[in-house]
Amino acid sequence: MESHVAFNYQQQVEQIRNQMQCDFVALALVQSEDRHFQIRWEYASGNISQRFKRIVLQSGKGVAGIVFKTGKPIFAPVAHEYCEKDNLYNYPIILAEQLESFAAVPLFKYNRVKGIVIAGCRSKGCMSEEKFKLLKSLVAPTFGPYYSEELTGN
Amino acid sequence: MNGISQSGMSNLLMQLYDNSTEAIFFFNSDDSVLSMNKAAEKILDPQVSELMKAGNTEAICMACKGFTSTEEEQTCISCYMSNPNLDIPSFQVFLETAGRGVVPYTGSIQMIDSEKGIRAFMLRDLTPQFKTSETLHQKTLVKRVIKAQEDERKRISRELHDSVAQEMLSSLVDLRVLKYMNVEEDVLKKVKQTEGSLMRLLDDIRHLSVQLRPATLDDLGLEAAFRTHFKWVEKNYGLLVYFNSDIRSKRFEGEIETVVYRVCQEAVFNALKYAEIEEIHVNLTLTSGELKLIVSDEGVGFDVNAPTYKGTGLGLFGMNERAELVDAALSVQSEIGNGTTIVLTVPLMKEETEVENHNRG
Repeated sequence: MESHVAFNYQQQVEQIRNQMQCDFVALALVQSEDRHFQIRWEYASGNISQRFKRIVLQSGKGVAGIVFKTGKPIFAPVAHEYCEKDNLYNYPIILAEQLESFAAVPLFKYNRVKGIVIAGCRSKGCMSEEKFKLLKSLVAPTFGPYYSEELTGN
Repeated sequence: MNGISQSGMSNLLMQLYDNSTEAIFFFNSDDSVLSMNKAAEKILDPQVSELMKAGNTEAICMACKGFTSTEEEQTCISCYMSNPNLDIPSFQVFLETAGRGVVPYTGSIQMIDSEKGIRAFMLRDLTPQFKTSETLHQKTLVKRVIKAQEDERKRISRELHDSVAQEMLSSLVDLRVLKYMNVEEDVLKKVKQTEGSLMRLLDDIRHLSVQLRPATLDDLGLEAAFRTHFKWVEKNYGLLVYFNSDIRSKRFEGEIETVVYRVCQEAVFNALKYAEIEEIHVNLTLTSGELKLIVSDEGVGFDVNAPTYKGTGLGLFGMNERAELVDAALSVQSEIGNGTTIVLTVPLMKEETEVENHNRG
């Protein structure tokens, strides 16, 4: 991350949380290929514990893993319905931060998902369509070195 | 009758008749009731016992719901009352009782005065024994299921580890050879991508194998298996597990190791799911003749006497059943707001060799 010193991720994450009026916002970054594209939550705001820092996700695992694999955002106004109650432990960040509703969007670089931003609340039904749109607009068209959408046609 | 007079004997018999919990009826040769004791009156519907006392020969059939023959559970075919000369020392009979519905009894019928044709019919309540054997049956069944599940997991895990993963690895090696052959740039790029996905697949298979049942548990023992598992928990859920052990890589009987591992796994998962904590302590201590596992957290806790199940509620039950497999004691201490401590104490046999022989049989 040293190459992007000019862009303060922590500050940006906090700003998103303020603008969205959410309980929790975090940014996960995807590591390089030789580290098996492992995903870690690197920056967070509004966290209730340090658990997020220790979580290492593989492609397809957890919220970030799914966004990474599909390249599509997730909109889950009711977290329990999205994750299915019995399956909640497969979504460690939701469990650790006790999120009741959340949304997550991918960040691209060179047409690959390089980062994932999650915004969530600990109260039910707080993540609305409007907030989801707001989240998408906040990382568009660029977020630091990342693009909000896959650049097609190049 | 040494040392007891005739009157003393009849006194004893009267006391037995009056105070016994067994229902005793005396039937006349015409199937009317000569006499019945207090216990008999108690179990029967008052109306029926009135009819009986009045000498109604059909009264018994109002209460009797049939007996168990080799053909049927409840039948009236060749009724125990029908043949006066047939003594049956024990049979199972179902009776409509006052307030308890149809209850199984052990009955016996025998001729005590062949001249007058007087028969004694005695009933003993079977329900407690039934319950005991049912519980026993259930427990044995659960234990068998647990054992079968464990064996099956072991088999699949081994299969994945020894054959599927090995095959995968050799194709990965084959693929890597391609990189050193004279191939074009774009092919090389594709080969590298395929290598990446194969490697992820291999990792997935290995994870699956470990999750089913860690081979380390069988090969290296509890400590090693725990350390690997806790590392995995930390990576996957961000939960820190402080693990302390003084068993110094000592090995125990396979069944004990499995139980300790599974109980601990369940306890840690419970804490992870419900305790709302960041860290948990696991202690494994070995004292003379005892292996003790303590899993404690400082989370939200719950009311042990009236737990509100957030999950299936099967976890705690399963832990208990598993503990019973090796005669271990499981205690769960918890208080709302004061965390939870789970202690598993496994008794160890003094002679390890003895244990082995005992369990091989």
